[in-house]
Amino acid sequence: MTVNAHPNLDESRLVEALKRGEQAAFTEAVSTYTAGMLAVARYYVDPANAEEIVQDCWVTVIDAVRRFEGRSGLKTWLHRIVANRCKNLLRTSHREITTDFTERLEPELESRFKTSGRWATPPKLRFDESADVLLENGALSDCLDKHLGHLPENQRSALILYEAHQHKSDDVCNILDVSASNLRVMLHRARQKIFLMVETFQETGEC
Amino acid sequence: MLMCRELAGIASDYIDGELSTGRRLSVQMHLMMCRHCRSFIGNLRASTELLRGHSSARVEPAVIDRINHRVTEALSHRPETPDPDPDPDPDKDR
Ligand SMILES: [Zn+2]
Repeated sequence: MTVNAHPNLDESRLVEALKRGEQAAFTEAVSTYTAGMLAVARYYVDPANAEEIVQDCWVTVIDAVRRFEGRSGLKTWLHRIVANRCKNLLRTSHREITTDFTERLEPELESRFKTSGRWATPPKLRFDESADVLLENGALSDCLDKHLGHLPENQRSALILYEAHQHKSDDVCNILDVSASNLRVMLHRARQKIFLMVETFQETGEC
Repeated sequence: MLMCRELAGIASDYIDGELSTGRRLSVQMHLMMCRHCRSFIGNLRASTELLRGHSSARVEPAVIDRINHRVTEALSHRPETPDPDPDPDPDKDR
């Protein structure tokens, strides 16, 4: 993740360069923002079509960015462009919703409580290591990739936009077209899966 | 009284600061007394941080290359300096 002391200053400079159609600015923007745009597209369409949609979006951005007024951040604006394009393409969407929004607990976690509501099988881990140290373990990082890949698309996109791209909840709801309460459930369900994965990995060394 | 299972259900809301003050206080009370839930919240938070640090949406360089290629091509059809109020192109012959 890039942490920037003056993100807005840098961003407005980048936006001005994009408006002028500078090639270098586009190269920079493409490398910075494509990952998030793909996450949005993959929420709506299958991965094979997601890349093409994102390509098309970048081409439209060349002209559209001249009308960008900075009411939202550039990233949010780009993500909305992708979301709108997907929604237009999917007027009759058959997107599979794999999250049961009435259940806040993953079945695997639910089964770890007694009927009294106390823990029967409490968490086995202590996270003494910081996330950075854990990530230096390449095998864990690979395992994380694998499990992220297995998350339902909607949970993965919610997680990526909220965590990796640090979007505000309102923006994620808008981009993914979900209610705030359903977003909370998607995030929580996805995090539980990641927790269960890390727990298994640390306990057994297996993914 | 908040039970462990219920707390586990709202753990993300607690971590993200999305609970009402009353709810937050009852979670804090519970955490003072229950090490399993402390451990769960800690683990869930660490899992979340793990994701933040992980380039979870890493993109294949080839994907970036293909986009840059298309953008470059599209840019070459665009005037170098945009006219802020562009006139209709009088030479348009198609
Ligand atoms: Zn407890």
